[in-house]
Amino acid sequence: MLTQTWLPRLSFAPVNTAPRGDTLVVVFLRGAADVLNMVVPHGEDAYYQLRPSLGIARPDDSKKKKEERVLDLDGFFGFHPNMSPLLEAWQSEQLAIIHACGAPDESRSHFKAMELMERGVDDERGPASGWIGRHLATLNTGNSSPLRAVGMGTRPQRSLSGNVPVSALRSIADFHLGGDPRALQQMRASLETVYANDILGQETLSIMDTLQKLDPTNYQSPITNYPDTEFGLALKQTAMLIKAEVGLEVSAIDLGGWDTHFAQGSASGLMPNLMKDLAEGLAAFHADMADHMNQLTAVTMSEFGRRASENGSLGTDHGHGSMMMVLGGNVDGGKVHGQWPGLAEGQLIGPGDLAVTTDYRDVLSEILTKRLNNPATNEIFPEYQPVIRNVLK
Amino acid sequence: MLSRRDFLKLASLVTASAALSSCAPVYRRLAGDLPIVPWTALSTNDFLALNRITFGARVEERARFAEIGLQAYIEEQLDFESINDLACDLQLSTFKTLNMEANKLEGISNELFDGYDREKAPNELRQATFLRQLYSKRQLYEVMVEFWSDHFNIFMDKEKEFFLKTVDDREVIRKHALGNFRDLVWASAHSPAMMVYLDNQANEKSHPNENYARELMELHTLGVDSGYTQKDVMELARCLTGWNVKEHFWLGDFVFKEDIHDTGEKNVLGLSIQPSGIKEAEQVIEMLVAHPSTAKFICTKLARRFIADDPPQELIEIAAQTFLNTNGDIKSVLRVILFDGLAFAKPKYKRPVNFLLSTLRMLNAETDGIALHEYLVRMGQLYFNWPTPDGYPDYNEAWQGNLMPRWQFSFALIRDELKNTKHNLQSLLDVSSTGILQDDVDSITSLLLGNPLERLARNGIIDSVRTAGATDEETLQIIATSIIASPAFQWR
Repeated sequence: MLTQTWLPRLSFAPVNTAPRGDTLVVVFLRGAADVLNMVVPHGEDAYYQLRPSLGIARPDDSKKKKEERVLDLDGFFGFHPNMSPLLEAWQSEQLAIIHACGAPDESRSHFKAMELMERGVDDERGPASGWIGRHLATLNTGNSSPLRAVGMGTRPQRSLSGNVPVSALRSIADFHLGGDPRALQQMRASLETVYANDILGQETLSIMDTLQKLDPTNYQSPITNYPDTEFGLALKQTAMLIKAEVGLEVSAIDLGGWDTHFAQGSASGLMPNLMKDLAEGLAAFHADMADHMNQLTAVTMSEFGRRASENGSLGTDHGHGSMMMVLGGNVDGGKVHGQWPGLAEGQLIGPGDLAVTTDYRDVLSEILTKRLNNPATNEIFPEYQPVIRNVLK
Repeated sequence: MLSRRDFLKLASLVTASAALSSCAPVYRRLAGDLPIVPWTALSTNDFLALNRITFGARVEERARFAEIGLQAYIEEQLDFESINDLACDLQLSTFKTLNMEANKLEGISNELFDGYDREKAPNELRQATFLRQLYSKRQLYEVMVEFWSDHFNIFMDKEKEFFLKTVDDREVIRKHALGNFRDLVWASAHSPAMMVYLDNQANEKSHPNENYARELMELHTLGVDSGYTQKDVMELARCLTGWNVKEHFWLGDFVFKEDIHDTGEKNVLGLSIQPSGIKEAEQVIEMLVAHPSTAKFICTKLARRFIADDPPQELIEIAAQTFLNTNGDIKSVLRVILFDGLAFAKPKYKRPVNFLLSTLRMLNAETDGIALHEYLVRMGQLYFNWPTPDGYPDYNEAWQGNLMPRWQFSFALIRDELKNTKHNLQSLLDVSSTGILQDDVDSITSLLLGNPLERLARNGIIDSVRTAGATDEETLQIIATSIIASPAFQWR
């Protein structure tokens, strides 16, 4: 017995049938990104009082060099200077921002918050699968591709877990067995046999075939400036899969390192470097995918935000309200959505944190229903009644 | 037993000839070859138990287990200091950084001669970790070292961690892996590597930093949602102000900096704490390690590692009671988990480290470990490379869905394509072979999966490989490869 009896048997009966909608790219900023320094509320005096050292200077602050000032977006909010690569998407109205966005959980624990958010639930109760996993399981798009959902990296993300098999893929170029053709043929035959009753194995074999037809070393992109980082690689692989039309519906990408308790940097430094990676990556992807933008939605999220005031180590501690960005051809872009709760005393919650005025599930539900043709949000986010915020057209 | 003097003499021999050691390593000539003994089929439960307390059962471990039984085998492993580990120790004797103090490590990391550079300490620690898991006879001890390395996770790619972790590994994890939990937390709280990793060196009176305080309660002791509040986190952070790392003389040592310590009164978990400098947080640590939530949290994690993703609640309860009764004696708790729990063990998906190690150990492979580094990276479990403080995940689903590097590894290993790495499948078969292909295939599957495949399945694989045009010799190779790559071998 090579497939043991206790291996989970996979079966599912989707509740809805619909043609596939957009390709969804979900970027998770792990470690709780300090969104107040990414999309800066420069119109708030309290921001500058709370962050005397870390605050990013107002767009018109002539005491600071221009490259150290906020890039104004709408008179009240502005980008950190290292987010500037995203200005083009913003100006073309394909990028929307939802500020003071997040989850109800107030544990301020990375691990609990990430788990709940990836599962799409309020607390420990409820399904153990991930929200993307349930999206895939509740929608029959007639797409049997083994690359329907891919976790870019070495392990599939928690959000993808569920009864539709998903694959982890770090690099298309690495996805082959090597060896001489003769040995390869024997190996292949043997793998077919031992994986005859195992869906994951069958999928892996099938992905191997699919990817063999791609030629990653000769990937021609009009855009060559993907950052040379794991994040840049993940976006580039995603772009390749989309262009190759291999059936990709969801790509999940992680960008870690945002837990900046210590010396996070203001205009430059640790966190600004992460923003640079994020913004350059997304901007390259946006440009590379220009012809596909009408069938593409990308979203960024993080488990929670950070304390409104800086701490004494020139960093920030765990907070609450966060921010999401949505990029795509059907986004109501060039706008900061959501109700801004303010940073003044009496407006902050808990130990001094940005309040949450938009639940992250509102944004995801709108994407699911309007762009992914999946109305089953009550199963994807059980016991949650989403409010459509019109982040999309 | 070998005297220290004898050992040093042998070790210097190893060092002197390290450069020539490409095929028949000196430590191997000094300590003897890896034993090859015949193996017989094991029951599913025994095979599973043996693979929980080792990184994959070698043939001589199987023989010993069959000889003395589960309970005695575990007792033998728990008494790890009595197990002679000469071959492994000799192999590590060329790794000079493992025993260096922080100050020295920092010094050599800035040198660019004598074979030292910035990569020396982290490379040696990673390679040593791998070689110990592969060659040490103290397998249960190494399994616990891995467990605590996850529990007190430190990411080596942060600032000074690239050399501080070497000290933490030696003085915290390895020193107390089978000791007492209280001593382990105590050592970790005084570990410069932990102070740097969780930013406590930035935790000062005028501006507290909550990072370490939170994880000390959430991840190291009580567990999330066990009753502490955001306020408790902030108060404990105040107690921990001044717990720091020396930056100049004896750089990298722990220091309590009185001048940045918050001297006000504090209250943590309802306990009022009077100003008493370093004693304040020490008092809280004593309270945390003796807390029932801690006992339960640690026992749940141990049961998850050794028994099943969803271990029986009763097992956790009795283990937690033992934890409290023995003031956190790790061996006593392990006895409960293993003796009372192994009967309820359910298959666990092999994490990448376990997959690689079990393959190499079962095939009596010889390697310096360097070629495996790349595979650990691609499978996502390079040692000390998990950025967040929760450690590498320990549930099945986290690791499924990335089969390709496992297939690539098995294909490359059997074909001897990995640098400085050689499996010993042929020598193993030599002690058991009847010369009949079917019997050899049974031997291989019994070796790797505990017992032979059913006839039908076995013949099916043989046919598929032969149909693809393989000779008998190729057939054995390909079948060994695909057993390692098979779904069954991914579980333990």
